[in-house]
Amino acid sequence: MSVTEKQLKSFARLARLDFPDSELEAFKGEFEEMIAFCDSINSSVQGDAASIREVGSRRIEWEDLREDVVQQSLPEEKILSNVNGENGYFTVKRVVK
Amino acid sequence: MKYQLVSGFETHVELATATKIFCGCTTKFGGAPNTHCCPVCTGQPGALPVLNKKVVEYAIRAGLALHCTINTVTHLDRKNYCYPDLPKAYQISQFDKPLCEHGYVELESGKRIRILRIHIEEDAGKLVHERGTSYIDYNRGGVPLIEIVSEPDISSPEEAREYVEKLQLTMRYVGVSDCKMQEGSMRCDVNISLKERNSDQLGTRTEIKNMNSISHIEKAMEYEAKRQAEILDDGGEVVQATMRFDENTGETYVMRTKEDAQDYRYFPEPDLLEVVIPQKKVDEIAATLPELPLEKYNRYTKVLGINPANARLLYKYKAVCDFFESCLALGAGVKNTANLILGTVYSTLNTEEEKELFDIKVSPENMAELVKLADGGKINITLAQMTLAKMLESGKPLTEYIREEDLAGISDGDLEELCRQAIAANPKAVEDYKNGKEKAISGLYGYIKRATQGKADIRKADAIIKNLLK
Amino acid sequence: MSRIQQLSSALRDKKISSEELTIEYVKRTERLNPVLNAYVCTTFAEAIDNARAADKLIAKGEGTLLTGIPMALKDNIATDGLPTTCCSKILQGYRPYYDAAVWQKLKSQGAVLMGKTNMDEFAMGSTSETSVYGAPLNPVNTAHVTGGSSGGSAAAVKADMAVYALGSDTGGSIRQPAAFCGAVGFKPTYGAVSRYGLIAYGSSLDQIGPLTSSVQDAAIVYDAIRGKDVRDQTSLCTPQGETKLTGDVKGLKIGVADEFFEGINPEIKSAIDAAICLYERAGAQVKRISIPALKSALPVYYIIACAEASSNLGRYDGIRYGFRAKDYADIDDMVVKTRTQGFGREVKKRIMLGTYVLSSGYFDAYYKKACLIRQQIISEFKNVFSDCDILIAPAAPVTAFTLGYSGGNPIEMYLSDVCTVPVNIAGLPAVSLPCGKDKQGLPIGMQVIADRLCDGTALSAALFFEKEAGIVIENQGDIK
Repeated sequence: MSVTEKQLKSFARLARLDFPDSELEAFKGEFEEMIAFCDSINSSVQGDAASIREVGSRRIEWEDLREDVVQQSLPEEKILSNVNGENGYFTVKRVVK
Repeated sequence: MKYQLVSGFETHVELATATKIFCGCTTKFGGAPNTHCCPVCTGQPGALPVLNKKVVEYAIRAGLALHCTINTVTHLDRKNYCYPDLPKAYQISQFDKPLCEHGYVELESGKRIRILRIHIEEDAGKLVHERGTSYIDYNRGGVPLIEIVSEPDISSPEEAREYVEKLQLTMRYVGVSDCKMQEGSMRCDVNISLKERNSDQLGTRTEIKNMNSISHIEKAMEYEAKRQAEILDDGGEVVQATMRFDENTGETYVMRTKEDAQDYRYFPEPDLLEVVIPQKKVDEIAATLPELPLEKYNRYTKVLGINPANARLLYKYKAVCDFFESCLALGAGVKNTANLILGTVYSTLNTEEEKELFDIKVSPENMAELVKLADGGKINITLAQMTLAKMLESGKPLTEYIREEDLAGISDGDLEELCRQAIAANPKAVEDYKNGKEKAISGLYGYIKRATQGKADIRKADAIIKNLLK
Repeated sequence: MSRIQQLSSALRDKKISSEELTIEYVKRTERLNPVLNAYVCTTFAEAIDNARAADKLIAKGEGTLLTGIPMALKDNIATDGLPTTCCSKILQGYRPYYDAAVWQKLKSQGAVLMGKTNMDEFAMGSTSETSVYGAPLNPVNTAHVTGGSSGGSAAAVKADMAVYALGSDTGGSIRQPAAFCGAVGFKPTYGAVSRYGLIAYGSSLDQIGPLTSSVQDAAIVYDAIRGKDVRDQTSLCTPQGETKLTGDVKGLKIGVADEFFEGINPEIKSAIDAAICLYERAGAQVKRISIPALKSALPVYYIIACAEASSNLGRYDGIRYGFRAKDYADIDDMVVKTRTQGFGREVKKRIMLGTYVLSSGYFDAYYKKACLIRQQIISEFKNVFSDCDILIAPAAPVTAFTLGYSGGNPIEMYLSDVCTVPVNIAGLPAVSLPCGKDKQGLPIGMQVIADRLCDGTALSAALFFEKEAGIVIENQGDIK
């Protein structure tokens, strides 16, 4: 399975990553190697492609769902403890170039 | 018009649960930013979702009210997209196995708008841009939503209005949402395409996102239909696109085209197991469903004999119906109760919202007492209206305004005496009446009303006067 | 007595206080950690405080076996107010404001946390070399890797810088480093231990478990952390009461599947064969079996784990916590730059693979197929366990790589997980314990696998071998 650079770029866009052109070539090689590795399943699949959760998956019973009872939310200082917030908000300042 | 409008709706409705869909934080609207938050709804690494039972219950309730079948084995999926208001970079939603499928909304004309599916999902937070800074508040993040997807069965802005109103009403009737469009607890994405009349060939559709008012929906649909028609008339092609409606200009504009359409990479949410809903639970919910809007409308018009226009004004508001029906249960008559609500009470409730809320100072018991006096002819309708107005204003009970002795005070003898006085005081009117001017007699009523402060039964007085003047 | 039992009774009998014990561990760690790089963050001040509190608990007679015992947590387990970085640049400076369920449980018993241990970035790797803090070294031979991804936890326990440590296991990340370092590693049944607060890699595969110096200790720690947690809907009720290990294997039915031995280093194969003989001699029944679907286990694992990871790691956008890129034009640009600069190469590769296998046009061919084969693997295991109590297999096809080897051989690294991933795919419990040494003196690990929720069966069977074989793996001369 080979991947075009254009495809790679579009996956990167979905993944919110950027591969500069200088790295793309090298990355492409490694990525194709991984895909080739994953391709081996395509030769071994059996059975029909029914719902992927149909067979033998675990289920949660009705009683185990959470009751609708309010719990104390955390104080804003905690929620914002890992950022420099502003007036209680998470912020991203636009850096104009 | 050469073209037929074809439209389908995706409607997001916020469920009125106390807590969020996957954590115990409150769903209350507003609040200081980021104060209704915890590790789960801010997407802290390692936090896990825990599905709220009530969300499933409410969604089933909504589904049953819209005549859907319920999938008793269902699961949640991740919809992956990156946006700052979505703290996990995926929305937990449902993809291939929605909770409810294949229902409909029936319009008054009898036409049915089919519902394809209803699924549960979480809301995102709020992102505001101001002077180069983006501010993010996750209070709304994780508030439970249902998305109601209709088939493209809507063929005019008027039908769209009725469809949305009926949805709103149904959700309110079954108590799963307040559907306040202005607060965002109900939002619509509108798909629009045109087809040539007498053709089965659907045109390319566009989608107008995030509509939060019914009148905007109508305007946007009209505008968009016209825009598409002009393109087609010019021999052009409509481009599949996601649009926005600009409230100020009344125009739609393109947000993004299919070229840069998202690939959401749905897959089953591994942090939540498949949910099994006992059929017994579904039956239980079905058994507690109240009378639905259209059923109520039909009963009001056909059984209670209320005219369609008045019936519509009543059944639009769940709280009004509850009040109205409580009064009837206490023995008040249909006609007077309805008229007093639609006249006197409504005149104090200026907005749709106030009517929806129906927070009035008169209890059904007091209202019923008053109506019964009017029903029995003990007071006339004018006095009933005046008294009700005072009661609505002050919140004081009926006995504050009308005492037993007042009612007992005007005996038949007294009334006859009053009528004699009235005749004596109005010779001109009596003369006219005798000369065949039937209407002249109303001058005498005024005299009696003034003398009794409206407490006299005018129909009775009318009979006495006519008898005296024979 | 096991190490934990010994220390716990010494604490109870006042032969030593937890504070004194902790100070000893602090000194040892200060001496050895600069060499081994097992801890990426030490919490000595808090440890001493915790030890003092533990001493009070013990004095009141309220202690448990784990009260006052110095221990370590893998750096992907959330600790309130303490750095938790998954050894990634993107979580630099991140301090969670809540405790993981496992840490909450241990803390309430008076556990003494020495620090957070080194690991592959986001648990993605088999050598711990993808850590932003550099690789931990193998205490048995410092020219070799610890294995991964819980390499720091394995090294800390093997070098006795912690009595026990918690790791996480998505495709072998507890068992393989235990095998490489000559420690005991236990991956419980999926769901037996709450994942609340474990920073996710592959959510349907991840499981927290202990690394210890003995099977008995693994059982003790397992008992302390297991059980249903309302905050993790995938968690399970586990059997009530203490997991009692008899070490009795008479009549035990042991399955040996050929698929686990394909492409295995011959030295490892013969060590496992010898171990199996030991079981047979003690009265266990050995059956040769086949689990054909295991042929696809590795690609199935990589597809599912990477798909889930690509989604799990979407949240690292620099907005709410961790690293944020410096120069950017707008939010979008900030997010892309943060992720591009914040994630290491291996992580990016797996995110890309996961994005690819979930994307429209490829979903059916990869992700969906992988899920179907996963079901097949689960049902084949189910058949096997209808007739076997445990399976015995190697923990890894090789012994510890030399440092730096993995860089040039990515696919070979993936292949080294071949013995461990089937267990995660099926959600089974498995113990990894030393069963010998290769000719370089590097430890060889053996796996004992049991059916879902039969964690005690796996541990008990492992205990038999541990006692019977009496394997001793010495640390390198200067790591004494």
